[in-house]
Amino acid sequence: MSSKQLNMVQAINSTLDLLMAENDSIILLGEDIGKDGGVFRVTEGLQAKFGSERVMDTPLVELGIVGMAIGMALSGLRPVPEIQFQDFIYTAFDQLVNQAAKMRYRSGGEYHVPMVLRTPYGGGIRGGLYHSQSGEAYFAHTAGLTVLSPSNPYDAKGLLISAMKYNDPVMFLEPKRLYRSIKSEVPDEKYSIPIGKASMVHEGNDMTFITYGSMVPTVMNTVTKHSIDADVIDLRTIMPYDGETILNSVKKTGKAIIVHEAPRTLGMGAEISAFLSERAVEYLSAPILRVCGPDIPFPYRLEEYYLPNEERILKAINRIQEFR
Amino acid sequence: MDEKELFVKAYKAMALSRALDRKIVMSQRQGRVGFYTPTIGQEALQIGLSMTLEKEDIIYEYYRDVPFMLHRGVPPAAIIDQVMGNSSDSEKGRQMPSHYSSKEFHFMSVQSPVAANLPPATGAAYEIKYRKKKNIVVATFGDGSTSTPDFHAAMNMAAVYDLPLVFLCENNRWAISLPIEKQTRVEIWKKAEAYGMRGIKVDGNDLFAMYEAAKKEVETVRKERKPVLIEAVSYRIGPHSTSDDPNKYRTAEITDGSEKDPLIIAEKGMIERNYLTKEEIEKIKTDSKETIDRIFDEREKIPAPKPESIFTDVYEKPNWIIEEEKGEIL
Repeated sequence: MSSKQLNMVQAINSTLDLLMAENDSIILLGEDIGKDGGVFRVTEGLQAKFGSERVMDTPLVELGIVGMAIGMALSGLRPVPEIQFQDFIYTAFDQLVNQAAKMRYRSGGEYHVPMVLRTPYGGGIRGGLYHSQSGEAYFAHTAGLTVLSPSNPYDAKGLLISAMKYNDPVMFLEPKRLYRSIKSEVPDEKYSIPIGKASMVHEGNDMTFITYGSMVPTVMNTVTKHSIDADVIDLRTIMPYDGETILNSVKKTGKAIIVHEAPRTLGMGAEISAFLSERAVEYLSAPILRVCGPDIPFPYRLEEYYLPNEERILKAINRIQEFR
Repeated sequence: MDEKELFVKAYKAMALSRALDRKIVMSQRQGRVGFYTPTIGQEALQIGLSMTLEKEDIIYEYYRDVPFMLHRGVPPAAIIDQVMGNSSDSEKGRQMPSHYSSKEFHFMSVQSPVAANLPPATGAAYEIKYRKKKNIVVATFGDGSTSTPDFHAAMNMAAVYDLPLVFLCENNRWAISLPIEKQTRVEIWKKAEAYGMRGIKVDGNDLFAMYEAAKKEVETVRKERKPVLIEAVSYRIGPHSTSDDPNKYRTAEITDGSEKDPLIIAEKGMIERNYLTKEEIEKIKTDSKETIDRIFDEREKIPAPKPESIFTDVYEKPNWIIEEEKGEIL
């Protein structure tokens, strides 16, 4: 089986290319995704190959992009809307929450919306308030949506292939900070990573890290650099998260630290912490800790103070190690 | 179908819809139905357009389109099942009354937030264009919808992509308590021009005028594969919903059975054209009432869906979270 060293942009681009070539139901639509190839170049070259009817440069209207994609999906197409920055999605929130997410339910299963919404999210590129947000909790809180976030090029391809076979709306959140910063060996062929299954990216006995997206490399670097004997769980699927893997690990280690970029209050860390306290309290030897973005808007000049980093993760490790 | 048959079918649907509307409103007052948004006054404009459509056309309707649905063949029993939310309801009792859905007759599932059906309608029309099909999409909405960003987005997208899409604005002149004069400074049909789209205004209270206008516009959309905005002016004879008392904010201009009532206007026209006699009209009305009374009593006996049904269809396959919560509740 042949493979290539690819970054995440290349992995997503080549996966879309592969899938579009074999299925003419797939339509990409979004702002500047055609001729320009998207502001992050994720769709580079696809319009030249598949035409402007399948790679649509739309007017600047997020609710129109999402709404139109919903109608396409209802008519049997497989739309892949792109929202240029996740920060711009809020005008389309009603379409997502009240239309896409509820369609199967409210029609008694007669209609469904097979749509994969791709959008770059998170900070680390000096984007300030409106090019850095991590809004995954909004989507995870909505019954009917499925929320994915890959942390490396290999997973990006496998998750995207699964999402494109899925018959309900998927939020495919791409950590933009990782678009070009890491490469992995990506097979040329199709393979899929199941939705709802986390990945154990490091194994150990002292504590469990639960993280996803852009924070996976940050946690991994800290754990390897300081030889921490920890399980590191990359969720990959934010909703429905893999409760079983989390629970089994925490039962083994007795300690849990959840790391994400999104604001702490009512973020995924809050959910996972509640999940663990409901069913693993007798296994816990220390408080469940969260290392997250603070509950403030995302700052521009001083973004390094916002993003969880090695220092803050180490602080949490030190605190948790005081409990034996 | 010749013109006479076409109009007799249309009138029958109007009469049936009116009988159904009266029955549901009355039943709501008796506590037999939870809620309802009456359609009285909007029969002519919906059916006048429906008369010009083909079976394969796709409708993104809103919550006041019962006459439209009945005319296209949705059985009254299906409407009543939805309103009751019983175990025969195709939506499994999940949506409050007036939020219909019928895949069989190509009616999209109805949502509450107004105008949210319009952007998806452009996607359905895009699929038709992309697949080079012959059918068209119709999207309906009230005058209140024209203030929303969804209306703007959909009008713009439909025009930019040359989509075969009929926007039917059912201007009943009231967005709950806000009259049209306080909603916009421009007549609705004129807004089309700003998008580079054809726009027309028609008397939506007159079945014959509506049919003529709709026929011309639908033919144009079919031929030119470009959208149109039809503003059909009518009047919301009833309240916004059974929870609303219009006496608080307006004096009724048209009442049920009065001279300007679209049903009465249609009856006059049917007699003038020798399509129906006065006696035939009376018989259609009596039959409609009897049919609706009978079906309503029948459907009322159907039990509620089973409790476990609330946990299905969130996703194609339920996830572990939903399964666990179901186990805790049931």
